[in-house]
Amino acid sequence: MAENALGTDPEWVDELLLGGDPGDVCLRLPDPVDRATLRRLVADARTRLAGAGLRRGGAVALRLPPSLAYVVHLLATWRSGGQAILLDHRLTDHEVDRALERLTPQVVVAPVRTGGGGLRIFHDVTAGVQAYSDRPAGTGHAVIQLSSGSTGPSKVIGRTGADLAAEVLRYTHIDGVALPGERIILLPSMVHVLGLVGGLLYGLHARVELVPPQRLSGDAILAAVAERDTPATVLGVPFHIGLLASTTPTGPLPQLKRMTTGGELVPAAVARAFTDRYGVPLGNMYGMTEVGVIGTDLYGRHRPAIAPAPGIEVRESSTGELWVSCPTNPYVGLADPTRWADGWLHTRDAGAVDPDTGLVTIKGRFDSQVSVGGMKVDLTEVESTLTGLPGVASAVVVWDDGITAYVQPDGPLTTDALDELLAQRLAGYKRPRNLRLLDQLPRTTTGKLVRSATALRAAGS
Amino acid sequence: MAGRPDLGRADLVTMLAELNATPVEQVSERVGSMELAWLVHLVEQRYDRRLDLTDEQLASVRTVDDALAVFHASLTAAADG
Repeated sequence: MAENALGTDPEWVDELLLGGDPGDVCLRLPDPVDRATLRRLVADARTRLAGAGLRRGGAVALRLPPSLAYVVHLLATWRSGGQAILLDHRLTDHEVDRALERLTPQVVVAPVRTGGGGLRIFHDVTAGVQAYSDRPAGTGHAVIQLSSGSTGPSKVIGRTGADLAAEVLRYTHIDGVALPGERIILLPSMVHVLGLVGGLLYGLHARVELVPPQRLSGDAILAAVAERDTPATVLGVPFHIGLLASTTPTGPLPQLKRMTTGGELVPAAVARAFTDRYGVPLGNMYGMTEVGVIGTDLYGRHRPAIAPAPGIEVRESSTGELWVSCPTNPYVGLADPTRWADGWLHTRDAGAVDPDTGLVTIKGRFDSQVSVGGMKVDLTEVESTLTGLPGVASAVVVWDDGITAYVQPDGPLTTDALDELLAQRLAGYKRPRNLRLLDQLPRTTTGKLVRSATALRAAGS
Repeated sequence: MAGRPDLGRADLVTMLAELNATPVEQVSERVGSMELAWLVHLVEQRYDRRLDLTDEQLASVRTVDDALAVFHASLTAAADG
Protein backbone atom coordinates (compact mmCIF):
# COMPACT_ATOMS: atom_id res chain seq x y z
CA MET A 1 0.00 0.00 0.00
CA ALA A 2 2.38 2.76 1.12
CA GLU A 3 4.65 2.10 -1.82
CA ASN A 4 6.57 4.64 -3.76
CA ALA A 5 3.56 6.53 -5.14
CA LEU A 6 5.66 8.25 -7.76
CA GLY A 7 6.45 4.84 -9.16
CA THR A 8 2.79 3.94 -9.47
CA ASP A 9 0.53 4.86 -12.33
CA PRO A 10 -0.50 8.53 -12.01
CA GLU A 11 -3.89 7.58 -13.37
CA TRP A 12 -4.99 7.25 -9.73
CA VAL A 13 -5.68 10.97 -10.02
CA ASP A 14 -8.22 10.39 -12.81
CA GLU A 15 -9.75 7.37 -11.14
CA LEU A 16 -10.07 8.82 -7.66
CA LEU A 17 -10.57 12.52 -8.29
CA LEU A 18 -11.09 13.73 -11.82
CA GLY A 19 -13.41 11.07 -13.25
CA GLY A 20 -17.16 11.37 -13.53
CA ASP A 21 -19.70 13.29 -15.55
CA PRO A 22 -18.02 16.15 -17.46
CA GLY A 23 -20.96 18.44 -16.67
CA ASP A 24 -20.79 17.92 -12.91
CA VAL A 25 -19.90 21.12 -11.07
CA CYS A 26 -17.03 20.53 -8.64
CA LEU A 27 -16.22 24.09 -7.55
CA ARG A 28 -18.24 27.31 -7.28
CA LEU A 29 -15.91 30.31 -7.12
CA PRO A 30 -18.70 31.59 -7.42
CA ASP A 31 -18.70 30.82 -11.14
CA PRO A 32 -19.18 27.09 -11.55
CA VAL A 33 -16.21 24.97 -12.61
CA ASP A 34 -17.31 21.63 -14.03
CA ARG A 35 -15.24 18.48 -14.39
CA ALA A 36 -14.63 18.99 -18.10
CA THR A 37 -13.21 22.46 -17.39
CA LEU A 38 -11.10 21.20 -14.50
CA ARG A 39 -9.66 18.38 -16.63
CA ARG A 40 -8.80 20.85 -19.38
CA LEU A 41 -7.11 23.25 -16.93
CA VAL A 42 -5.15 20.36 -15.41
CA ALA A 43 -3.98 19.25 -18.86
CA ASP A 44 -2.86 22.82 -19.66
CA ALA A 45 -1.00 23.07 -16.37
CA ARG A 46 0.76 19.76 -17.05
CA THR A 47 2.11 21.24 -20.25
CA ARG A 48 3.40 24.31 -18.41
CA LEU A 49 4.99 22.24 -15.64
CA ALA A 50 6.72 19.98 -18.15
CA GLY A 51 7.88 23.05 -20.05
CA ALA A 52 9.52 24.36 -16.87
CA GLY A 53 11.35 21.08 -16.34
CA LEU A 54 9.06 18.76 -14.38
CA ARG A 55 9.78 15.12 -15.09
CA ARG A 56 8.02 12.08 -13.70
CA GLY A 57 9.42 11.50 -10.21
CA GLY A 58 10.30 15.17 -9.74
CA ALA A 59 8.78 17.58 -7.26
CA VAL A 60 6.80 20.81 -7.64
CA ALA A 61 6.71 23.38 -4.83
CA LEU A 62 3.33 25.10 -4.69
CA ARG A 63 3.55 28.44 -2.95
CA LEU A 64 0.02 29.49 -3.71
CA PRO A 65 -2.87 30.72 -1.60
CA PRO A 66 -6.09 28.70 -1.84
CA SER A 67 -7.17 29.33 -5.44
CA LEU A 68 -8.20 27.59 -8.62
CA ALA A 69 -4.55 27.89 -9.67
CA TYR A 70 -3.56 25.89 -6.58
CA VAL A 71 -6.11 23.14 -7.24
CA VAL A 72 -5.14 22.87 -10.90
CA HIS A 73 -1.36 22.78 -10.34
CA LEU A 74 -1.69 20.31 -7.47
CA LEU A 75 -3.70 17.89 -9.59
CA ALA A 76 -1.44 18.48 -12.60
CA THR A 77 1.64 17.66 -10.50
CA TRP A 78 0.15 14.37 -9.38
CA ARG A 79 -1.20 13.56 -12.84
CA SER A 80 2.34 14.08 -14.17
CA GLY A 81 3.70 11.52 -11.70
CA GLY A 82 5.23 14.27 -9.55
CA GLN A 83 5.46 15.12 -5.88
CA ALA A 84 3.67 18.23 -4.59
CA ILE A 85 5.42 20.26 -1.87
CA LEU A 86 2.77 22.42 -0.21
CA LEU A 87 4.06 25.73 1.13
CA ASP A 88 1.59 27.89 3.01
CA HIS A 89 1.46 31.22 1.16
CA ARG A 90 1.88 33.05 4.48
CA LEU A 91 5.38 31.65 4.98
CA THR A 92 8.10 34.25 4.64
CA ASP A 93 10.76 34.21 1.91
CA HIS A 94 13.20 33.10 4.59
CA GLU A 95 11.07 30.07 5.52
CA VAL A 96 10.38 29.20 1.88
CA ASP A 97 14.05 29.46 0.86
CA ARG A 98 15.06 27.07 3.61
CA ALA A 99 12.38 24.59 2.51
CA LEU A 100 13.37 24.80 -1.17
CA GLU A 101 17.05 24.30 -0.43
CA ARG A 102 16.18 21.21 1.51
CA LEU A 103 13.58 19.70 -0.81
CA THR A 104 15.01 20.74 -4.23
CA PRO A 105 11.86 20.75 -6.36
CA GLN A 106 12.27 20.82 -10.14
CA VAL A 107 9.64 23.56 -10.44
CA VAL A 108 8.23 26.29 -8.19
CA VAL A 109 4.74 27.65 -8.76
CA ALA A 110 4.01 31.04 -7.17
CA PRO A 111 1.60 33.88 -7.90
CA VAL A 112 2.62 36.56 -10.36
CA ARG A 113 -0.58 38.39 -9.53
CA THR A 114 -3.16 38.01 -6.75
CA GLY A 115 -6.46 39.81 -7.12
CA GLY A 116 -9.55 40.38 -5.03
CA GLY A 117 -10.13 42.37 -1.88
CA GLY A 118 -9.07 41.70 1.66
CA LEU A 119 -10.28 38.79 3.82
CA ARG A 120 -10.55 36.51 0.83
CA ILE A 121 -10.84 32.79 1.48
CA PHE A 122 -10.26 31.84 -2.14
CA HIS A 123 -7.97 34.05 -4.16
CA ASP A 124 -7.91 35.09 -7.78
CA VAL A 125 -4.38 34.09 -8.71
CA THR A 126 -2.34 34.12 -11.87
CA ALA A 127 0.37 31.52 -11.32
CA GLY A 128 3.93 31.73 -12.54
CA VAL A 129 5.83 28.49 -13.19
CA GLN A 130 9.62 28.53 -12.75
CA ALA A 131 12.39 25.98 -13.01
CA TYR A 132 14.29 25.45 -9.76
CA SER A 133 16.50 22.33 -9.94
CA ASP A 134 17.00 19.22 -12.05
CA ARG A 135 16.95 16.74 -9.18
CA PRO A 136 14.35 14.02 -8.68
CA ALA A 137 12.15 14.15 -5.58
CA GLY A 138 13.93 12.95 -2.46
CA THR A 139 11.18 10.49 -1.57
CA GLY A 140 8.30 8.68 -3.22
CA HIS A 141 5.63 10.66 -1.39
CA ALA A 142 2.85 12.31 -3.39
CA VAL A 143 2.60 15.21 -1.00
CA ILE A 144 5.07 16.92 1.31
CA GLN A 145 3.85 19.26 4.03
CA LEU A 146 5.75 21.29 6.58
CA SER A 147 4.83 21.41 10.21
CA SER A 148 6.14 23.97 12.67
CA GLY A 149 9.14 22.28 14.25
CA SER A 150 10.77 22.46 17.62
CA THR A 151 14.37 22.51 16.38
CA GLY A 152 14.79 25.33 13.91
CA PRO A 153 13.57 24.17 10.51
CA SER A 154 10.08 22.79 10.11
CA LYS A 155 9.35 19.09 10.31
CA VAL A 156 8.84 17.58 6.87
CA ILE A 157 5.87 15.23 6.60
CA GLY A 158 5.31 13.00 3.58
CA ARG A 159 2.23 11.06 2.48
CA THR A 160 1.97 8.65 -0.42
CA GLY A 161 -0.74 8.65 -3.05
CA ALA A 162 -1.98 5.35 -1.59
CA ASP A 163 -2.21 6.94 1.85
CA LEU A 164 -4.14 9.95 0.53
CA ALA A 165 -6.48 7.65 -1.40
CA ALA A 166 -7.05 5.58 1.74
CA GLU A 167 -7.97 8.70 3.69
CA VAL A 168 -10.40 9.84 1.00
CA LEU A 169 -12.08 6.42 1.12
CA ARG A 170 -12.09 6.56 4.94
CA TYR A 171 -14.22 9.70 4.69
CA THR A 172 -16.77 7.88 2.53
CA HIS A 173 -17.36 5.46 5.43
CA ILE A 174 -17.95 8.15 8.06
CA ASP A 175 -21.59 8.81 8.89
CA GLY A 176 -22.34 12.52 8.72
CA VAL A 177 -20.04 13.70 5.92
CA ALA A 178 -21.47 15.62 2.94
CA LEU A 179 -23.05 13.26 0.41
CA PRO A 180 -22.88 13.18 -3.41
CA GLY A 181 -24.84 16.08 -4.87
CA GLU A 182 -24.50 18.12 -1.69
CA ARG A 183 -22.16 21.04 -0.97
CA ILE A 184 -19.27 21.77 1.36
CA ILE A 185 -18.91 25.42 2.33
CA LEU A 186 -15.14 25.33 2.54
CA LEU A 187 -13.38 27.57 5.05
CA PRO A 188 -10.08 25.86 6.00
CA SER A 189 -7.07 26.29 3.75
CA MET A 190 -6.69 23.55 1.15
CA VAL A 191 -2.95 23.63 1.78
CA HIS A 192 -3.51 21.89 5.12
CA VAL A 193 -4.87 18.45 5.79
CA LEU A 194 -8.46 19.22 6.78
CA GLY A 195 -9.18 21.47 3.80
CA LEU A 196 -7.01 19.40 1.46
CA VAL A 197 -8.35 15.90 2.07
CA GLY A 198 -11.60 16.51 4.00
CA GLY A 199 -12.54 19.29 1.58
CA LEU A 200 -10.89 19.23 -1.82
CA LEU A 201 -10.01 15.56 -2.39
CA TYR A 202 -13.09 14.10 -0.72
CA GLY A 203 -15.32 16.59 -2.56
CA LEU A 204 -13.82 15.73 -5.95
CA HIS A 205 -14.09 12.01 -5.22
CA ALA A 206 -17.62 12.02 -3.79
CA ARG A 207 -19.10 14.55 -6.26
CA VAL A 208 -19.68 17.12 -3.54
CA GLU A 209 -19.55 20.74 -4.73
CA LEU A 210 -16.90 22.82 -3.01
CA VAL A 211 -18.00 26.36 -2.23
CA PRO A 212 -15.55 28.78 -0.62
CA PRO A 213 -17.47 31.85 0.63
CA GLN A 214 -16.63 35.14 -1.05
CA ARG A 215 -14.85 36.39 2.04
CA LEU A 216 -14.20 35.59 5.66
CA SER A 217 -17.31 36.90 7.43
CA GLY A 218 -20.41 35.38 8.97
CA ASP A 219 -22.67 37.01 6.37
CA ALA A 220 -20.61 35.66 3.48
CA ILE A 221 -20.69 32.12 4.89
CA LEU A 222 -24.47 32.26 5.27
CA ALA A 223 -24.81 33.75 1.78
CA ALA A 224 -22.87 30.78 0.38
CA VAL A 225 -25.19 28.37 2.21
CA ALA A 226 -28.31 30.17 0.95
CA GLU A 227 -27.10 30.46 -2.64
CA ARG A 228 -28.45 27.07 -3.73
CA ASP A 229 -31.10 24.62 -2.58
CA THR A 230 -28.87 21.58 -2.07
CA PRO A 231 -27.83 20.56 1.47
CA ALA A 232 -24.71 22.31 2.71
CA THR A 233 -22.13 21.34 5.33
CA VAL A 234 -19.93 24.15 6.64
CA LEU A 235 -16.38 22.89 7.14
CA GLY A 236 -14.16 25.10 9.29
CA VAL A 237 -12.11 25.57 12.42
CA PRO A 238 -13.37 26.73 15.83
CA PHE A 239 -12.90 30.43 14.96
CA HIS A 240 -15.57 30.03 12.28
CA ILE A 241 -18.08 28.71 14.83
CA GLY A 242 -17.69 31.99 16.70
CA LEU A 243 -18.23 33.96 13.48
CA LEU A 244 -21.48 32.13 12.75
CA ALA A 245 -22.67 32.15 16.37
CA SER A 246 -22.41 35.96 16.30
CA THR A 247 -24.19 36.39 12.95
CA THR A 248 -27.94 36.82 12.73
CA PRO A 249 -29.34 34.99 9.71
CA THR A 250 -31.71 37.12 7.65
CA GLY A 251 -34.05 34.20 7.02
CA PRO A 252 -34.45 30.46 7.43
CA LEU A 253 -31.63 28.27 6.15
CA PRO A 254 -33.18 24.87 5.45
CA GLN A 255 -30.12 23.93 3.36
CA LEU A 256 -27.76 24.09 6.34
CA LYS A 257 -27.20 20.52 7.36
CA ARG A 258 -24.27 20.64 9.72
CA MET A 259 -21.12 22.48 10.70
CA THR A 260 -17.99 20.43 11.21
CA THR A 261 -14.72 21.75 12.60
CA GLY A 262 -11.26 20.39 13.13
CA GLY A 263 -8.56 21.88 15.30
CA GLU A 264 -8.68 22.55 18.98
CA LEU A 265 -11.67 21.66 21.09
CA VAL A 266 -14.52 24.17 21.20
CA PRO A 267 -15.67 25.47 24.60
CA ALA A 268 -19.12 24.11 25.48
CA ALA A 269 -20.60 27.62 25.62
CA VAL A 270 -19.52 28.38 22.03
CA ALA A 271 -20.93 25.06 20.82
CA ARG A 272 -24.22 25.79 22.56
CA ALA A 273 -24.43 29.33 21.15
CA PHE A 274 -24.05 27.86 17.66
CA THR A 275 -26.57 25.03 18.04
CA ASP A 276 -29.09 27.34 19.74
CA ARG A 277 -28.90 29.72 16.81
CA TYR A 278 -28.88 27.27 13.91
CA GLY A 279 -30.46 24.10 15.28
CA VAL A 280 -28.15 21.78 13.32
CA PRO A 281 -25.45 19.40 14.57
CA LEU A 282 -22.01 20.79 15.33
CA GLY A 283 -19.55 18.06 14.41
CA ASN A 284 -16.02 17.73 15.68
CA MET A 285 -13.01 16.12 14.02
CA TYR A 286 -9.56 15.17 15.23
CA GLY A 287 -6.75 14.73 12.78
CA MET A 288 -3.08 15.33 12.12
CA THR A 289 -1.05 16.27 9.08
CA GLU A 290 0.80 12.94 9.41
CA VAL A 291 -2.24 10.67 8.99
CA GLY A 292 -5.24 12.86 8.18
CA VAL A 293 -8.56 12.28 9.92
CA ILE A 294 -8.19 10.16 13.05
CA GLY A 295 -11.62 10.38 14.62
CA THR A 296 -14.92 12.23 14.40
CA ASP A 297 -18.06 13.13 16.29
CA LEU A 298 -20.10 14.58 13.46
CA TYR A 299 -23.41 14.57 15.35
CA GLY A 300 -21.95 16.26 18.44
CA ARG A 301 -23.18 13.35 20.56
CA HIS A 302 -19.92 12.41 22.24
CA ARG A 303 -18.45 15.86 22.85
CA PRO A 304 -15.66 16.18 23.80
CA ALA A 305 -14.87 12.55 22.79
CA ILE A 306 -14.54 11.27 19.22
CA ALA A 307 -14.93 7.84 17.65
CA PRO A 308 -11.93 6.54 15.68
CA ALA A 309 -12.42 6.78 11.92
CA PRO A 310 -12.91 3.48 10.03
CA GLY A 311 -9.59 1.67 9.68
CA ILE A 312 -7.83 3.82 12.29
CA GLU A 313 -6.73 2.38 15.59
CA VAL A 314 -6.08 4.61 18.57
CA ARG A 315 -4.47 3.43 21.79
CA GLU A 316 -3.36 4.99 25.01
CA SER A 317 0.30 4.52 25.89
CA SER A 318 1.52 3.72 29.38
CA THR A 319 2.25 7.43 29.88
CA GLY A 320 -1.22 8.49 28.73
CA GLU A 321 -0.18 9.61 25.25
CA LEU A 322 -2.47 8.83 22.32
CA TRP A 323 -0.91 6.60 19.66
CA VAL A 324 -2.47 6.27 16.21
CA SER A 325 -1.94 3.46 13.71
CA CYS A 326 0.31 4.69 10.89
CA PRO A 327 2.04 1.92 8.91
CA THR A 328 5.07 3.90 7.75
CA ASN A 329 7.18 6.68 9.24
CA PRO A 330 5.63 9.94 7.93
CA TYR A 331 8.67 12.07 8.78
CA VAL A 332 11.15 12.71 6.00
CA GLY A 333 14.77 12.48 7.10
CA LEU A 334 13.84 11.99 10.72
CA ALA A 335 14.03 8.69 12.59
CA ASP A 336 12.74 9.72 15.99
CA PRO A 337 11.22 6.80 17.91
CA THR A 338 9.48 9.23 20.26
CA ARG A 339 7.40 10.42 17.29
CA TRP A 340 6.85 7.23 15.31
CA ALA A 341 7.80 3.62 15.98
CA ASP A 342 6.59 0.18 14.93
CA GLY A 343 3.56 1.39 13.00
CA TRP A 344 2.33 3.82 15.65
CA LEU A 345 2.37 7.60 15.44
CA HIS A 346 2.95 9.15 18.85
CA THR A 347 0.61 12.12 18.72
CA ARG A 348 2.03 14.04 21.72
CA ASP A 349 -1.59 14.56 22.70
CA ALA A 350 -2.53 13.40 26.16
CA GLY A 351 -5.72 11.40 26.06
CA ALA A 352 -7.76 8.40 27.07
CA VAL A 353 -9.45 5.57 25.20
CA ASP A 354 -12.62 4.21 26.81
CA PRO A 355 -12.14 0.42 26.97
CA ASP A 356 -15.88 -0.24 26.58
CA THR A 357 -16.90 2.17 23.84
CA GLY A 358 -13.55 2.83 22.14
CA LEU A 359 -14.30 6.56 22.30
CA VAL A 360 -11.23 8.78 22.49
CA THR A 361 -10.92 11.90 24.65
CA ILE A 362 -8.08 14.34 23.96
CA LYS A 363 -6.83 16.13 27.04
CA GLY A 364 -4.22 18.50 25.68
CA ARG A 365 -0.66 18.62 24.41
CA PHE A 366 2.38 17.01 25.98
CA ASP A 367 4.77 19.32 24.14
CA SER A 368 5.12 22.95 23.17
CA GLN A 369 2.73 22.89 20.22
CA VAL A 370 -0.24 25.22 20.27
CA SER A 371 -3.04 25.70 17.79
CA VAL A 372 -3.64 29.14 16.29
CA GLY A 373 -6.84 29.13 14.27
CA GLY A 374 -6.36 25.47 13.47
CA MET A 375 -2.69 25.91 12.51
CA LYS A 376 -0.14 24.13 14.66
CA VAL A 377 2.66 26.34 15.95
CA ASP A 378 5.57 25.05 17.95
CA LEU A 379 6.51 27.66 20.56
CA THR A 380 10.12 26.50 20.55
CA GLU A 381 10.39 27.43 16.86
CA VAL A 382 9.22 30.95 17.72
CA GLU A 383 11.60 31.09 20.67
CA SER A 384 14.65 29.85 18.74
CA THR A 385 13.90 32.35 15.95
CA LEU A 386 13.68 35.20 18.46
CA THR A 387 16.85 34.13 20.24
CA GLY A 388 18.69 34.10 16.92
CA LEU A 389 17.87 37.74 16.15
CA PRO A 390 20.48 40.48 16.50
CA GLY A 391 19.99 42.49 19.68
CA VAL A 392 18.32 39.65 21.56
CA ALA A 393 20.16 38.23 24.58
CA SER A 394 17.50 35.68 25.50
CA ALA A 395 13.81 35.04 25.00
CA VAL A 396 11.01 32.95 26.43
CA VAL A 397 7.85 32.21 24.48
CA VAL A 398 4.76 30.90 26.26
CA TRP A 399 1.06 30.52 25.57
CA ASP A 400 -0.89 33.08 27.57
CA ASP A 401 -4.17 33.74 25.75
CA GLY A 402 -2.08 33.86 22.59
CA ILE A 403 1.58 33.43 21.71
CA THR A 404 3.42 35.63 24.19
CA ALA A 405 7.11 36.46 23.99
CA TYR A 406 9.34 37.96 26.68
CA VAL A 407 12.62 39.26 25.32
CA GLN A 408 15.76 40.41 27.09
CA PRO A 409 17.71 42.72 24.74
CA ASP A 410 21.48 42.95 24.73
CA GLY A 411 21.48 46.50 23.41
CA PRO A 412 19.05 49.11 22.14
CA LEU A 413 15.96 47.35 20.83
CA THR A 414 12.31 48.27 20.32
CA THR A 415 9.28 46.03 19.86
CA ASP A 416 8.75 47.65 16.45
CA ALA A 417 12.26 46.70 15.37
CA LEU A 418 11.74 43.16 16.65
CA ASP A 419 8.44 43.00 14.80
CA GLU A 420 10.17 43.96 11.56
CA LEU A 421 12.83 41.28 12.00
CA LEU A 422 10.32 38.60 12.94
CA ALA A 423 8.12 39.47 9.98
CA GLN A 424 11.00 38.50 7.70
CA ARG A 425 11.47 35.13 9.36
CA LEU A 426 8.14 33.81 10.62
CA ALA A 427 4.71 33.53 9.02
CA GLY A 428 2.16 35.85 10.61
CA TYR A 429 0.24 33.16 12.46
CA LYS A 430 3.45 32.06 14.23
CA ARG A 431 4.38 35.55 15.41
CA PRO A 432 3.77 36.59 19.04
CA ARG A 433 0.53 38.37 19.75
CA ASN A 434 2.11 39.82 22.88
CA LEU A 435 5.70 40.98 22.80
CA ARG A 436 7.35 42.35 25.95
CA LEU A 437 10.87 43.65 26.45
CA LEU A 438 12.35 43.04 29.89
CA ASP A 439 15.71 44.28 31.18
CA GLN A 440 16.13 40.93 32.84
CA LEU A 441 14.14 37.76 32.23
CA PRO A 442 13.18 36.02 35.46
CA ARG A 443 15.37 33.02 36.28
CA THR A 444 15.28 30.24 38.82
CA THR A 445 17.90 30.07 41.56
CA THR A 446 19.84 27.68 39.34
CA GLY A 447 19.81 30.20 36.51
CA LYS A 448 17.20 28.57 34.27
CA LEU A 449 14.72 30.78 32.48
CA VAL A 450 11.32 30.84 34.19
CA ARG A 451 8.53 29.57 31.91
CA SER A 452 5.49 30.12 34.08
CA ALA A 453 3.04 32.43 32.29
CA THR A 454 1.92 33.88 35.62
CA ALA A 455 5.47 34.67 36.79
CA LEU A 456 6.36 36.17 33.42
CA ARG A 457 3.22 38.27 33.38
CA ALA A 458 4.12 39.59 36.84
CA ALA A 459 7.67 40.37 35.70
CA GLY A 460 6.37 42.18 32.63
CA SER A 461 3.86 44.40 34.39
CA MET B 1 -26.69 57.45 12.38
CA ALA B 2 -25.57 54.61 10.20
CA GLY B 3 -22.14 55.30 8.76
CA ARG B 4 -20.99 57.81 11.35
CA PRO B 5 -17.75 56.60 12.83
CA ASP B 6 -18.92 56.62 16.45
CA LEU B 7 -16.71 53.61 16.94
CA GLY B 8 -14.28 53.88 19.82
CA ARG B 9 -11.23 52.03 20.93
CA ALA B 10 -13.15 50.58 23.88
CA ASP B 11 -15.64 49.02 21.45
CA LEU B 12 -12.88 47.15 19.67
CA VAL B 13 -11.33 46.00 22.94
CA THR B 14 -14.72 44.67 24.07
CA MET B 15 -15.08 42.78 20.78
CA LEU B 16 -11.62 41.21 21.18
CA ALA B 17 -12.42 40.24 24.77
CA GLU B 18 -15.49 38.43 23.45
CA LEU B 19 -13.43 36.54 20.86
CA ASN B 20 -10.95 35.14 23.34
CA ALA B 21 -13.37 35.01 26.28
CA THR B 22 -10.93 37.07 28.34
CA PRO B 23 -11.48 40.10 30.62
CA VAL B 24 -11.22 43.44 28.82
CA GLU B 25 -8.10 44.41 30.77
CA GLN B 26 -6.26 41.35 29.43
CA VAL B 27 -6.87 42.15 25.77
CA SER B 28 -3.61 42.57 23.90
CA GLU B 29 -2.83 45.80 22.09
CA ARG B 30 -1.56 43.73 19.15
CA VAL B 31 -3.95 42.37 16.56
CA GLY B 32 -3.33 39.24 14.49
CA SER B 33 -5.07 38.29 11.24
CA MET B 34 -7.77 36.29 12.99
CA GLU B 35 -8.51 39.07 15.47
CA LEU B 36 -8.71 41.48 12.57
CA ALA B 37 -11.18 39.27 10.67
CA TRP B 38 -13.27 39.10 13.84
CA LEU B 39 -13.25 42.89 14.26
CA VAL B 40 -14.22 43.49 10.63
CA HIS B 41 -17.05 40.99 11.00
CA LEU B 42 -18.44 42.65 14.15
CA VAL B 43 -18.00 46.21 12.86
CA GLU B 44 -19.84 45.21 9.68
CA GLN B 45 -22.64 43.72 11.77
CA ARG B 46 -22.85 46.85 13.90
CA TYR B 47 -23.08 49.21 10.96
CA ASP B 48 -24.95 46.78 8.74
CA ARG B 49 -22.63 47.42 5.84
CA ARG B 50 -19.61 45.91 4.21
CA LEU B 51 -16.20 47.46 4.79
CA ASP B 52 -14.34 47.14 1.54
CA LEU B 53 -10.84 47.01 2.92
CA THR B 54 -7.92 46.27 0.66
CA ASP B 55 -5.21 43.71 1.39
CA GLU B 56 -2.84 46.64 1.93
CA GLN B 57 -5.14 48.23 4.50
CA LEU B 58 -5.54 44.93 6.32
CA ALA B 59 -1.80 44.26 6.23
CA SER B 60 -1.11 47.66 7.79
CA VAL B 61 -3.03 46.75 10.94
CA ARG B 62 -0.86 45.59 13.80
CA THR B 63 -2.56 47.14 16.82
CA VAL B 64 -6.03 48.02 18.08
CA ASP B 65 -5.31 51.67 17.25
CA ASP B 66 -4.31 50.75 13.67
CA ALA B 67 -7.57 48.83 13.29
CA LEU B 68 -9.57 51.76 14.63
CA ALA B 69 -7.92 54.12 12.14
CA VAL B 70 -8.66 51.81 9.20
CA PHE B 71 -12.28 51.33 10.28
CA HIS B 72 -12.78 55.08 10.74
CA ALA B 73 -11.37 55.76 7.30
CA SER B 74 -13.58 53.15 5.71
CA LEU B 75 -16.75 54.19 7.54
CA THR B 76 -16.15 57.87 6.82
CA ALA B 77 -15.48 57.21 3.15
CA ALA B 78 -18.67 55.15 2.94
CA ALA B 79 -20.69 57.90 4.66
CA ASP B 80 -19.27 60.59 2.38
CA GLY B 81 -19.65 58.53 -0.74
